Amino acid sequence: MGNGKSTLMAGQKPTVFNNAIVRQQTISAYLFLLPAMVFFVGFVVIPMVMCLATSFFNYSMGKPFEFIGLNNYLEMFKDQVFLKSLRNTFVLVAVAVPTVTAFSLWVSCAIYQMHAIKRSFFRCVFYLPVVTGTVAVAVVWKWMFNKYTGLLNYILNATGILNENVSWLGDAKTALWCIILILFTTSIGQPIVLYVAALGNVDPSLIDAGQVDGATPFQVFWHIKWPQIMPTTLYILVITTINSFQCYALIQLLTSGGPDNSTSTIMYYIYYEAFKLYRYGYGNAMGVILAIIIALLSALQFKVTGSGATD
Amino acid sequence: METKKSLITPGTVLTNIVLALLSVFFIFPLYWIITGSFKDPIAVNASPPVWFPTEPTLDNYVRLLSNPAMKWLWNSVLLSVVAMALTCLTAAMAGYVLAKKRFVGQKVIFSIMICAMALPKQVILVPLLKEMSALGLHDTLWGVILPTVGWPFGIFLMKQFSETIPTEMLEAARIDGAGETRTFVDIVLPMVKPGLGALAIFTFINSWNDYFLQLIMLNSSRNLTISLGIAKLQAEMSNDFGLIMAGAALAAIPIITVFLMFQKYFTQGIAMGAVKG
Amino acid sequence: MKKTLSLLLATGMVAGTLAGCGTTATSSSAAESTATSTAESTASATADSATADAGLAADITMWTYPIGKFKDAETVDGIVKSFQEKNPGVNIKVEYLDYTNGDDQVTSAIEANTTPDIIMEGPERLVSNWGAKGKMVDLSDLWTAEAKADINATSASIEAACKAADGAYYEYPLCMTTHCMAINKEMFEAADALQYINEDGTWTTENFGKALQALKDSGIDTTGVVYCGGQGGDQGTRALVNNLYSGKFTDDAHTAYTADSDANKKGLQQLVDWCGAGLLSFDTAAVASDELQLFANGTIAMTFCWNASNQATYAESVTFTPMPVAFPSDDGKPELCGGIWGFGVFNNGDDAKAAAAKAFIQYICDDATQGPASVQLTGFFPVRASYGDVYAGTEDEARMAAFSAYMQYLGDYYNVTPGWAEQRTAWWNMLQQIFTGTSVEDASATYAAACATAIEAAK
Repeated sequence: MGNGKSTLMAGQKPTVFNNAIVRQQTISAYLFLLPAMVFFVGFVVIPMVMCLATSFFNYSMGKPFEFIGLNNYLEMFKDQVFLKSLRNTFVLVAVAVPTVTAFSLWVSCAIYQMHAIKRSFFRCVFYLPVVTGTVAVAVVWKWMFNKYTGLLNYILNATGILNENVSWLGDAKTALWCIILILFTTSIGQPIVLYVAALGNVDPSLIDAGQVDGATPFQVFWHIKWPQIMPTTLYILVITTINSFQCYALIQLLTSGGPDNSTSTIMYYIYYEAFKLYRYGYGNAMGVILAIIIALLSALQFKVTGSGATD
Repeated sequence: METKKSLITPGTVLTNIVLALLSVFFIFPLYWIITGSFKDPIAVNASPPVWFPTEPTLDNYVRLLSNPAMKWLWNSVLLSVVAMALTCLTAAMAGYVLAKKRFVGQKVIFSIMICAMALPKQVILVPLLKEMSALGLHDTLWGVILPTVGWPFGIFLMKQFSETIPTEMLEAARIDGAGETRTFVDIVLPMVKPGLGALAIFTFINSWNDYFLQLIMLNSSRNLTISLGIAKLQAEMSNDFGLIMAGAALAAIPIITVFLMFQKYFTQGIAMGAVKG
Repeated sequence: MKKTLSLLLATGMVAGTLAGCGTTATSSSAAESTATSTAESTASATADSATADAGLAADITMWTYPIGKFKDAETVDGIVKSFQEKNPGVNIKVEYLDYTNGDDQVTSAIEANTTPDIIMEGPERLVSNWGAKGKMVDLSDLWTAEAKADINATSASIEAACKAADGAYYEYPLCMTTHCMAINKEMFEAADALQYINEDGTWTTENFGKALQALKDSGIDTTGVVYCGGQGGDQGTRALVNNLYSGKFTDDAHTAYTADSDANKKGLQQLVDWCGAGLLSFDTAAVASDELQLFANGTIAMTFCWNASNQATYAESVTFTPMPVAFPSDDGKPELCGGIWGFGVFNNGDDAKAAAAKAFIQYICDDATQGPASVQLTGFFPVRASYGDVYAGTEDEARMAAFSAYMQYLGDYYNVTPGWAEQRTAWWNMLQQIFTGTSVEDASATYAAACATAIEAAK
């Protein structure tokens, strides 16, 4: 992940970088880190280590706790539902992450130069699904997709596009897309907030200079704005990827993974195995695999987008 | 931020139309919740839908308040505010040194944090339960607050913002004889304030909406949060949408308030620095 | 590691307090615990002097699932108060669960060692789930010879359901019911379809088919909906499939699930055929509550998820007459799924608490006046034959009589078969498959295989 050299720029005085200063810097740095580390180690790292350790055990409620080596991991790759969930998760991430990022960038570009009130209005509007809360949003969407009384069927039938009732969440062909759509609406609020802020901070003199040189709006965007908002883009990519991988509340509330496991994601399946079947060890093993996948993907995003970033 | 007067072109007109249409799509769920909360049971379930409550009723709110809804709301506010404040403070401190200091173990710590962000939270719930139970914090709001503060998203975000602080300013402060604490309070904090505004909103809303962590950590009725309360209102055999929507509408008020309160910070413009390990 | 942890935590708490926020949470909970301990000491002091009633002294907690009025604090508080008059040493705190999240809350309580003392639900949770996992206290001392005789006079399957494979009793039952279906009487009348239902509310599979046709002919778009979007209310679809051609859900010994038997496959195929012909509908995204809402709205003519309690819930919001009927059966003799509800005690390793919990259970279920009153609160029927008609003389008498007529069709209580949780998921998955194109043969084979694996794993 990059290297430290770039920040040791002209302003630094390498000659006075002796041991005493390093020690003193390290001590003060750790004092600053201490509060965060207490929480991080205490309530994230320790449970995580416990999670990793128990993934090698037959850890289930009401069963003897015994070491079974890699059995949980081996079982996973023979488990059809797990494999299907893995595939669904990849589809969900592959669709949601680029669309969320691209869409929020487009909206932000469109609104960041607007009058302050208008800009606030749109930023607020796209943040509303986040504000509304997952449970409430799911209740409304469930009604919209309802086969008999839903809004979607009502509109499509009234306008003559359809002449039968479709069970949107109950059809293996449409259910996952419905979930992705709802995930999309609840995911773009945060990226838009960040993008609008980042675009507002792009040095206006650079843009003016570009325009004077006769650059098209696209060229201005691509050569001036895009490199400057790159760090924000990277952050958004990483966060959206992690969130999409962990999508499960919507699924639990809307489809329970059905029909025929077509909306089961790994996260939902972990919840099901751990909280419905009490197979904690197996759930933890799946969690570890999922974490490795997410970590690799995040690293890839760092590599790909990080290389083009300007400091 | 200065606003440029630009010419009205077909492109901007089209953009505005598309944005307006999308707004309808994004506003609709909340609109439906708010109007639904004023409908009687017949109207709320009617098909074709009743677009606007013709005979608005407060009955749903009356029934909602016959539950300890205000207590739920208070618990949600309390835990979200505490989680937000603790996260902002610890993340600002940690983000600053991770971005601006050189010290032994820096890279390792940052890498561990990035990896930790990848691990799905639900997986650590059972170990967390064991831990909270050992500490006697299960079924207290702290059981929800502590893991929320521990999650390293905030540190990552604040590190990104802190990268943009000019090193020269810190150098200058040091030469003026300012201690670490004073540098942090007088120079770093004001510079990352917009970032803190963003982090405050995200943390507040995430802990507000982190329904599953609340579900497994809290079980006595005096500790319920509004999200849990809304879920509770959905009994298995009766879909009392009016009541649920009244609960959802009530729950949305504090979050919208927080959003409007903090969003003014963004207008100052914020930027993130490049990601460096 | 523990030492480090507590050190870290201590630092964390200091940091938290320094940050100047949330002190209310800590101090209030601290205050609360002091308050409780004071209450406890005064309570036990009075207990010593004032009462001789077995000297029970404990603070216990009860969690109830929403069973009739046991979801209302006012009702339950009344019972607690009258119990405490006789047992002033016992403090009872009650929490109310819901079916959506209750199981997850109990699971987390088990893992965090914060389980309540008493829990109210049915044998499928108390006996075959938490009981089988060793989390419950054996209640055989509540099952006296007198209780056994009285309860067995109602049905022998109740005792069988409350008793685990190891012979321990993990549930002491209070009430029961049979789950039936209901029709929209006015719609059936208009379609001239009431003729297909016998006087006693039973009907044959053949007549059910004719009724569907009549409803369709009278212009009703959707007659009924087979819901399979999740496990909510799945007893309805199970009874529907089993009864059509008198199939059994499990074998008699409760060791295997038999949805792939010929009779059940024929029933499943019949449902697919009716749906194909437009006589019936299915929704792979709906659960019972969604279907009930359609029924209550008057959109559909029947529901497969009905009982006395549902009728009470929906009584106010419906504008038609919901009429309870049995599930259609080829021989005209339905076997209905039973619901049994009662109390279990979690093993918290404290004898005083367990004793107090048992005394409270006994008071709710067996007290000469409180017992029948408790049953009435559930809206179901007593498991004790000696209670007779607890609704006699109340405004509910006629309504409940309509349901009690179906008690004679109570079938096997198979919910205690191992692998139940996995089975429930496999069941609605199978229904989804057959309605979306998979052959009944293949789907039921998949289901049977999933169940066999689950039963094997449960051993």
